[in-house]
Amino acid sequence: MELKQNSYMFDMILFELQDIVGKNYVSTRVSDKEVYSIDYFWIPEMWHDRQKDRDIIRPSADFIVHPANAEEVSKVLKIANNYKIPVTTWGGGSGSQGGALPVFGGIILDTKRMDKIFKIDEIAMTVQVGTGIIHQTLEWELEQKGLSTMHDPASARCATVGGFIAHRGTGVLSTKYGKIEDMVVNMEIVLPTGEIINTLPVPKTACGPDLNQIFVGSEGTLGIVTKVTLTIHRLPEARKFRAFIFKDLATGLRVGQRLIAENLQPSVIRLYSENETKEVIKKVLGIEKTGAYLVYGFDGKEEMVDLLMKYARAIADEEEGEDLGTELGAEWWKNRYKFFFPPYMFRLPQCFGTLDTVATFTNIENVYNAMKEVVETKYPMARFIGHFSHWFPWGCMLYARFIIETPPEDPHEAIYLHNSIWNDALRAAIKAGGVLNEHHGIGLKLSRLTPEMYGNAFQIIKNLKNALDPNSIMNPGKLGLGL
Amino acid sequence: MTKLTQNNLDTLKACRYCPMCRQSCPSEFISYRESDAPRGRAILLHGVYQGGKEFEASTIDSIYNCFLCGACKSWCLGHDLGGYDIPELIKFARKDIASKGLAPQAVKDVRTSLLANDNTRNMDRKLSYTATVTEKKADILYLLGEGVNYAHFDIAEAFVQILENCKINYTLLKDEPTSGKELELLGYEEDAKKKAKIMADRIESTGCKTIVVSDPLVYDVLKNEYPAWGIELKTEILHVSEYLLGLINSGKLKLKQTKEKITLADSEFLGRYNDVYEAPREVIKTSAGKQFAEMQWNREYLQSAGEAAITFDDGIFAKGTVLGQKISTKAEDIHADVIVTLSAAAKRNISATTNIKVMDIAEFVKMNS
Repeated sequence: MELKQNSYMFDMILFELQDIVGKNYVSTRVSDKEVYSIDYFWIPEMWHDRQKDRDIIRPSADFIVHPANAEEVSKVLKIANNYKIPVTTWGGGSGSQGGALPVFGGIILDTKRMDKIFKIDEIAMTVQVGTGIIHQTLEWELEQKGLSTMHDPASARCATVGGFIAHRGTGVLSTKYGKIEDMVVNMEIVLPTGEIINTLPVPKTACGPDLNQIFVGSEGTLGIVTKVTLTIHRLPEARKFRAFIFKDLATGLRVGQRLIAENLQPSVIRLYSENETKEVIKKVLGIEKTGAYLVYGFDGKEEMVDLLMKYARAIADEEEGEDLGTELGAEWWKNRYKFFFPPYMFRLPQCFGTLDTVATFTNIENVYNAMKEVVETKYPMARFIGHFSHWFPWGCMLYARFIIETPPEDPHEAIYLHNSIWNDALRAAIKAGGVLNEHHGIGLKLSRLTPEMYGNAFQIIKNLKNALDPNSIMNPGKLGLGL
Repeated sequence: MTKLTQNNLDTLKACRYCPMCRQSCPSEFISYRESDAPRGRAILLHGVYQGGKEFEASTIDSIYNCFLCGACKSWCLGHDLGGYDIPELIKFARKDIASKGLAPQAVKDVRTSLLANDNTRNMDRKLSYTATVTEKKADILYLLGEGVNYAHFDIAEAFVQILENCKINYTLLKDEPTSGKELELLGYEEDAKKKAKIMADRIESTGCKTIVVSDPLVYDVLKNEYPAWGIELKTEILHVSEYLLGLINSGKLKLKQTKEKITLADSEFLGRYNDVYEAPREVIKTSAGKQFAEMQWNREYLQSAGEAAITFDDGIFAKGTVLGQKISTKAEDIHADVIVTLSAAAKRNISATTNIKVMDIAEFVKMNS
């Protein structure tokens, strides 16, 4: 339905929304539409940056609503279905993939009013929260009791718990504690047609497919998660780090793989490519070394941590790492968020992107080399850096980036270049055994590549979408699902 | 168009797409609106100053909803290197908005009231605490600020009683004028300077050597804006907490021990803008000792009490009590018996939300001396 603001139908729908959430919690203000049209994706940022004296616009919402609970969300979705109005869910708007952008207008449903901590259960070691809570706020409350979810991404300060669930987010401590999907115990979800459901009270059952895992990672296309129960842990008695420089990336990868294969269960392994060591580690930590910087860390009882650090050190020594000591390791931990603040973070006028992917240990180095080669060969104006930050029993993820200092001034040419690099780099990754993304999600950015990656299996996702969202109102244009 | 400073431009470019300080911003935390967060404000102002847009009504509202508390600066890990300063950018924009006559009506009304009545809310000057005081020449001049002068007489009475008990030669200004700070915060710098000149002349006429202020806004303007405006006050300027510490350290004032658990609500204008964190703590600890307990958020990570929240949407901000609730919740978490505040705004906004005793530092000292 096309909504013209000067039509009385606009006011009729506005009234219905105000009737649900209250007048103060529906906005059609120009300032809100402006700000909610830009998330952390490079393209709307660039578009905004270059809008002066150009006939370019950013898609924006018609209404921004702030419901307080699942019941209000349900009523909003029923109205949206009634009038076939697109609904885009917005948590912190800090996603890099354009997942929260209202590309077809309609309603932005901002979840941040649903920010209560309902229950901290120190027997079951779980916490139940509204998904609109800014994650750092949750962590601060848990910290008062000596607890934590151990989900520790840089975006904790600006992202909502619901946002992490939407795109399968991860954090610095994932190697030990898992990604967000590993932390979900159960959820309250509002389906696109307005029904409110709850998944089973515990996740590890033999009761058919895990409904949690249908909705986790669905990026607002299959429904809106309004409440979640997550696992929590006691803050460890000790958390220690040690940093090394290895002669090259291949050696660093081997060290990481051995740390995992020996079942030492580190909480952190962070390995930087030679390029990124030279550029980013120097800028943020002031360490100027040639080679691949690696830091590992362990959590737990101090005696156990010391023992595990000893075993890890033995592996690093065998691989002839230059020991930078525990202080430089701790320095990395202390500054782990600084990388994401200006002036340390890449920003316009640079064109940049995080080409994160994941593959088995067998394939990951080939994935890195394939991506690096295609970017550096086909796009000599770009530089390619990467680090490996989340490790699994079978492999690890690559947090690769391309950076172009001076992209084309013309916004259309800039998009073409930006998208071309993404296509080429990720197709190379997939060919070498990787996937489109590991923890930022698909969003708008990678939507066009998703059916191609899945092949015939994509039909399963489409069928699910058609069944749950017959009017196709939920976050259209994302996850390869179109309109 | 008013020319951006380099720092303003750097702030615009750094903050417009960066959400990393969001969890610190009290206005966004309360309204939930992206346009009320630092990122949102920077996006909107970038549109105006770099994007060729005109100021629009809801953008202006967003600019005036900022509490100027500086939490974004405290939490920004790039601030040390980049010097990003959202409050300065907001003040710059407000000056621009005001100069174009575009300020919201509520802001214009406050300006009118300040110009006519030297207070923000058209209050009858005859009902102020200082309406009937006898002004004289004295070493110590006590300035109350609007919140104390027109509402919290209890704070003034407590401090005056301390001065009396310590046999200090002091004076107040009869019918105390506005310092100009509120006008400056709202973007009316020229009006602020005129009021500042009047205040400076009144101060000089007392012959005082030390000004002691209750209101952190008055403290801030005397310390920072007056010198920048070429107004030289040849006096020492102290907040009540700093002055009381001086009395304690010199032996003129002795506090008895309290058994109650005391906590402190730091002031954004004393703390973030003037680095006054320790003096109030030392004063309290003289009485409370180990019974002094910090709330989770203290010093540069303090929670805003809304000292500069002069105009905002009452429908959402509930007259500042939403801010007070955030602070009192933290005091309740640590089972405090008393919350000591450093401004009338903090006392007003916090006390409305809790059964814990809330008192200004002057009242705390009077109670325990």
